[in-house]
Amino acid sequence: MRKNQFFKYFTIFIWLSFILIPYIWMFITSIKSPNELYTFPLKYFPHKPTLEGYKLLIETTPFLSYMKNSIIVAIFTVIIALFVAILASYSFSRFDFKGKMPLSFIFLITQMFPAILLAIPLFLLMRNLGILNTPLSLILAHSTFAVPFSTWMITGFLNSIPRELDEAAQIDGCGKLGALRHVIIPVASPGIIAATIYIFIYSWNEFLYALTFTSDIRARTIPVGLHTFMGEYIIRWDLLTAGGVITGLPVIIFFMIIQKYLIKGLTEGAVKG
Amino acid sequence: MKNSKFLIFFILVLILALLISPIQGQKKTVIKYWLWLDDPTDPMFPDLVKQFNSLNPDIQVEYELIPLAQYYDKLVTAVGAGTAPDCARFKDWWLGAFVDAGALEPLDNYLNNWNGYKDVITNLWTTGKIHAKSPIYMMPHQLITFYLYYRKDWFKEKNLPPPTDLSKFLDAAKKLTDPSKNRYGFGLRGGAGGQDQWLAFMVAQGARLVDRTGKVIADSPEAILANQWYIDLFRVHKVAPPSAPTDAYAQVLGAFQAGITAMMAHHVGSSVLVTQRLGEENVGVVPMPPADPRRPATMMTMSGNVILSGSKNKDAAFKFISWLTEKDQMDKWCRSRQGQLPVLKSVASMPYYMNNIFFKVSLDQAKYAIAWPPLPGVGYISAQLWLSLMQRALLGEITSKEMMVEIANALRKK
Amino acid sequence: MHLERSNLIYRWEKRVFPFLLLLPAFILIIGVVAYPIVRALWLSFHNYNPLKPHASEYTGFENYLKILRDSVFSIALRNSIFWIIGVVLFQFLGGLLGALILRQNFRGRSIVRGLSLIPWVTPSILIAIMWIWMLDGNYGIINDILLKLGIISKYIPWLAQKNTALPSVMIADIWRGIPFFAIMLLAAMEAIPEELYEAAKIDGAGPFKIFTHITWPLILPTVIITTMLRIIWTANHMDLILIMTDGGPGFSSLIIPLMSYHTAYKQLNFGYGATIAILQGLFLIIFISLYLRLLRKRGSIY
Repeated sequence: MRKNQFFKYFTIFIWLSFILIPYIWMFITSIKSPNELYTFPLKYFPHKPTLEGYKLLIETTPFLSYMKNSIIVAIFTVIIALFVAILASYSFSRFDFKGKMPLSFIFLITQMFPAILLAIPLFLLMRNLGILNTPLSLILAHSTFAVPFSTWMITGFLNSIPRELDEAAQIDGCGKLGALRHVIIPVASPGIIAATIYIFIYSWNEFLYALTFTSDIRARTIPVGLHTFMGEYIIRWDLLTAGGVITGLPVIIFFMIIQKYLIKGLTEGAVKG
Repeated sequence: MKNSKFLIFFILVLILALLISPIQGQKKTVIKYWLWLDDPTDPMFPDLVKQFNSLNPDIQVEYELIPLAQYYDKLVTAVGAGTAPDCARFKDWWLGAFVDAGALEPLDNYLNNWNGYKDVITNLWTTGKIHAKSPIYMMPHQLITFYLYYRKDWFKEKNLPPPTDLSKFLDAAKKLTDPSKNRYGFGLRGGAGGQDQWLAFMVAQGARLVDRTGKVIADSPEAILANQWYIDLFRVHKVAPPSAPTDAYAQVLGAFQAGITAMMAHHVGSSVLVTQRLGEENVGVVPMPPADPRRPATMMTMSGNVILSGSKNKDAAFKFISWLTEKDQMDKWCRSRQGQLPVLKSVASMPYYMNNIFFKVSLDQAKYAIAWPPLPGVGYISAQLWLSLMQRALLGEITSKEMMVEIANALRKK
Repeated sequence: MHLERSNLIYRWEKRVFPFLLLLPAFILIIGVVAYPIVRALWLSFHNYNPLKPHASEYTGFENYLKILRDSVFSIALRNSIFWIIGVVLFQFLGGLLGALILRQNFRGRSIVRGLSLIPWVTPSILIAIMWIWMLDGNYGIINDILLKLGIISKYIPWLAQKNTALPSVMIADIWRGIPFFAIMLLAAMEAIPEELYEAAKIDGAGPFKIFTHITWPLILPTVIITTMLRIIWTANHMDLILIMTDGGPGFSSLIIPLMSYHTAYKQLNFGYGATIAILQGLFLIIFISLYLRLLRKRGSIY
């Protein structure tokens, strides 16, 4: 038994180091002074660690505005895309109708072309809608491109839930939408949480549309903001790495809070209740 | 009841405010300006804009800071979609393609009335033209000429003379290369942006991409030989680090700073970083070493400012971009972290620049430096073609001749 | 009377309600994506320079015929296939292992699960430059560690060599994508009723048998869908390659979307750039529909 315990923690350790080493390296870089960046032979730890990069990032760059924009865009994208995708996957998973396969396939076709190809016509569309350089343009684009994948993901999870469950709920007097809300969504919560994370991170990291549709701090998001730290002849490693370290934090904290819904306690409660 | 009255009042005020705001806006001419900057934390440029806006109450300059890596793409998109800014920072590489499309406004009429015209270093007006007799499309602003850094301490150690011509350069590079110690003679840049360094070595050997009449001669025997010499630095003499085919600016600079390479071809843009790290006493600088000391040559590249032909406020746009090139503003810019070489005689002769060896060597070179020919194909060559050709040549997949023929074809393309 | 009513319900259920549920999604998708895709098709039959939008000419199938003769396209196609298979396969294997590890009960599990997202939430520019830096041929940490462990005898310029450039970028992309698979598979595993495991344990099944008989069959639908989505995603996302090698050295890490981008934006030949992308889109559509048909026959998905 003890050997088992050891093995378990050993695998967790290996997993974490694989995941974290580049991130830790980024963190170490962020607290090195510029003079210690390029050294041969390689120095692992800074002689004099400094938080100057973080201070400059917050005080002299609009990083916090970028972050605010990123958060707004990601949250609204999650709300819209999730709502739309849940309805669509409910339809795909629970109803038999003509043209189901082709329709679900059309969802995928939208994803089969490189985003760069669609950038200019989308730019024109946003201009005609008059929403260039607003978070709205990004929310619209991100939701659209997040819906197909999340619909497929959620459909997959819904399919693994026995139909008897929602049929029983309908007999109990819930309508179709009632069954969706009170039975299916709670039971499928691990899958829906997983899709939420997917949508959030997609929007959080999306670069191309964010670059094309925004022009200043009113709507610019973190990925574009970080690119401005790579100048022609100066690369601000300190700002880049400090920004990289900070960027992940809100998402990780958000996930730590919601991850408890990934476990099945909730689903069992819903089924029994 | 009270509430709804208040609401109506509020809505009325809102409508009124909306109606008034465009009227107020019309009083000022709004100028959109795009640029890239080296360091977004530097307050120099925002301060300049503030200063300009307060000096010109009728003009409001709004600028957009765009990362350089995406700058060209974004400008292309904007021109194609009809949403280009009024004026923009620009590179001589892109002139050919943009002028060919009629996207840039000729500046000659404006320049006739600009009193700074004669103060610009004479040779530099050519960087804004697409051929000898064409109008000027770009206002010179920040200049770069390529020179050579070398490690004084290492040269002294081995008793080597400064690399003032190409045979001394090659000799020193060979003697200072020792792979077992991870030391190499020269930081060759085969990765992104390496075309400027390459062109400097090409012209220093006497090779040209176009002749005086504008005919493309990039595939001439001289050019093929000169390119072969450059490729051989890596393939035959092995004086560059093995990572050279993909080394971009960050890697080349890093290797010089870390004491891996003994020489690096670059310009004033890196002088502060290099001397800070290695100490001023250890860093030497020489003009680009030519093959024939009687015929010095190096490459220069200009980043200037252009007015887009779709702009509705060209007068105001010119006022702003010409103001940026005037003496005090230019001096401020050149002394900042974004600083490159001033293009004005009155600024270049200031003690600050004359007493700085890096500025001085660069400015002395400006008299004979050669820019990329302003042909439409140069945009593609500098953005993509050169890179993949050079890398394949460095890996031995294509010959020097094949590479130069492709470059010549791209230059000839209309 | 009764019959008519049930007929109505039947119609409502078959013909109206499911479409009503799909409506918001289609409004979004058609409103936003339809025009750009039609536009891309239009471009592929034209000679189009975005700086000269009014000088475009209809060229028929010329762009498509050109691809057949384009040797760079076949290099890019080969690289793309290698890239997609390698990246998705290892992301899946790593993600499966990760999900199995994260599913266990241990102290600090929620923190470990949160940290596991790090590669996925890091902006791609930072992933790219951190890996460039770690892989650097002169002062990279990976060379340093491998040298100290005695695995290599001298520093290797990973990104500058023909045969190591693409695999190096793939490692960075695999690292980034593993958490995606891990979270998706973890969610699927968490949806498996605990009773099944308890019953298997009572029957005396070992961990391997439990995995092959319970976990794997029940997560299989998720595996299939996730893998398919990841294939499409990986085929079209070039952000890491763009920053890390830009397709180089030479063409050794050039993949199709990157070639399309170079052609469109650097060469200002949008017509040919669009053709390249559309051809890849067609390959993907064919591949994915075969994949789905195969699976439908086996009854793994609806």
